[in-house]
Amino acid sequence: MPGFTLPKISLPGNPRNAVPAKLAAAVVAVPLLLAGCTDNTKASDASGGAIDVVSSNTDCKVSATSVPSGNLTFSVKNEGTEVTEFYLLAADGLRILGEVENIGPGLSRNLVVTAPAGSYTTACKPGMEGDGIRGALEVTQSGNQPSADADFQHLLDTATTQYASYVKDQGEQLLTGTEQFAAAFAAGDAGEAKRLYAATRQHWERIEPVAESFGDLDPQLDAREADLEPGQEWTGWHRAEKDLFPPAGYTAMTPAERSAIADRLVADTKDLVERTRTLEISADMLGNGAKELLDEVATGKVTGEEEIWSHTDLWDFQANVDGARIAFEGLKPALLQKDPALAASLDEKFAALQAELATHAQGAHFTSYDQLTPEQVQRLASLVDALGEPLSRLTAAVVL
Amino acid sequence: MTANFLIGLREGLEASLVVVLLMAYLAKTDRRHLIPRIWAGVAAAVAVSAGFGALLTFGPKGLTFEAQEAIGGTLSILAVGLVTWMVFWMARTARTLGSDLKSRVDKSAGGTGWGLAVVAAIAVGREGLETALFLWAAAKATGESTQPLAGALLGLVAAAGFGYLLHRGVLKVNLSRFFTWTGAALVIIAGGVLSYGIHDLQEAGLLPGLHSLAFDISGAVLPSSWYGTLLKGTLNFSPATTWLEAAAWLLYVLPVLFLYLRVNRKTPSSPAASGTNPAAKTVAA
Repeated sequence: MPGFTLPKISLPGNPRNAVPAKLAAAVVAVPLLLAGCTDNTKASDASGGAIDVVSSNTDCKVSATSVPSGNLTFSVKNEGTEVTEFYLLAADGLRILGEVENIGPGLSRNLVVTAPAGSYTTACKPGMEGDGIRGALEVTQSGNQPSADADFQHLLDTATTQYASYVKDQGEQLLTGTEQFAAAFAAGDAGEAKRLYAATRQHWERIEPVAESFGDLDPQLDAREADLEPGQEWTGWHRAEKDLFPPAGYTAMTPAERSAIADRLVADTKDLVERTRTLEISADMLGNGAKELLDEVATGKVTGEEEIWSHTDLWDFQANVDGARIAFEGLKPALLQKDPALAASLDEKFAALQAELATHAQGAHFTSYDQLTPEQVQRLASLVDALGEPLSRLTAAVVL
Repeated sequence: MTANFLIGLREGLEASLVVVLLMAYLAKTDRRHLIPRIWAGVAAAVAVSAGFGALLTFGPKGLTFEAQEAIGGTLSILAVGLVTWMVFWMARTARTLGSDLKSRVDKSAGGTGWGLAVVAAIAVGREGLETALFLWAAAKATGESTQPLAGALLGLVAAAGFGYLLHRGVLKVNLSRFFTWTGAALVIIAGGVLSYGIHDLQEAGLLPGLHSLAFDISGAVLPSSWYGTLLKGTLNFSPATTWLEAAAWLLYVLPVLFLYLRVNRKTPSSPAASGTNPAAKTVAA
């Protein structure tokens, strides 16, 4: 080690020295960046602690002869008088899976090794010579695969791929439905347009967080009259809704106006579907999207503000819950590895909310929101709240 | 205590030897102003090693065994390349010493001076991480006993003492012998570093042949003995050497030493006294 020799020479305060120092630091640090890291603290998952190894001059005591697979932590203590080393070797006694060298007398060092099920050899080498004092270690299958990290990434990738397909499918159904709705609306066929209105919007509501990621399209397609900003042109679904379910004193649109709204609706939806095709979806978008959907329910649907004229809020409610559940179920295999308790809790709360919603369904239709009693709304609201809490932990659980 | 002392001594020698010879060279050639650059490289390596050592010991993540060995091995091989380049650079500049070209050489040495910092950083850094891990483990154990840490630190101080004595010693050597001596020593040290680096990569599983031993005299030269420690610390000699390590050592040391001595033979016997050396154009490096 440095820090000695040549007492005459000291490091001057010359700022130019910062250059070689940085250069040298970079040279030393770069390989570290390329290198693998492993968890220090994560002890063997099932045994719940480190495997103690005590090395003396003549002995190598390993506290367990059989451990479950996963990350194994060996805490090696040198109680001898010579420097020792500890090795975890493959069953052939040759291939090194891990080692700690230079354990001086009186010192402890940890070795963390990821080991799949199988037979292993442990060895202490007091004095650092020879084959060392060997012992057998059996690693049993724990279900905790050592390749879990690779598998885990695979699970997340599968989730995002599946969700991308889901978004694409819903987008296409939305476009088909919107074209039919727009045709009926433009033609003044209010009966057909009303019939299509809520069912078509469900496709929109299911993938709303994705649609909302395009800041310009969301207000064009889904703005409510109450939320319009001064000077903003009102287009989209709710503009048509007001015309189809007119409040008292409302002046109906002219055929030309209807036609313009319908054309714009179709054009914006096409744009949306086009853009979702190239959207990169990540696991955190799924988790956060699920939460956003439930927030939508809590702030818009439970209050009945979304569909103020048509009162088809429960359709949207159901669609938001569908969308959140699909995102959750995509992430569930990954979540089961990280936090099975959270997965179980979410399963249970989705089911409870769904069961309550089902009591308001008649076939494919839902009770009009203004028919709900305050108690029924209260029940729905409390179930939404109960689901919202664990759902807010979903993203962190799978992504971090 | 003794065992921990020997660890400190061994790691200290491994880290300091190249640095000491480089500094002696600069002192001999009146380029003391470049020595701070070497210190800067050393300081950077120590800071980085100690920082990473602390992080790996106390932080949430540790390095995998393979990564640790791969870093050590890669830095070792990098160090060999740099030291080899230094040796030939020294041979070349030594020849022009005292000539009217000196000022020009000094200018170019300005650029090479940064190279010195890097050589010093790598020479220290390749051992630094392992030593730092050991020292932090010892520091953690100080609650029970301060002996391991004290032992290791004493070893480092002893290595520093050795280095200082070596530095003083080589300064007394006559100039022309000094250059041959220093360069040859550096080549042999670098050969040891290379084979040590190969061994690290073999342990990491990146190179084969970890168990094909060319010789194993660890019964006669105990790695934990003081002479085993000295051999390891100075020459990186391993009493149990694999064929690949031995081959790398021979394939490096023999041709490089041959080329180096040939360059030196073309040098007039007293390079410092000669200002008209025509051989300057035929530098092997």
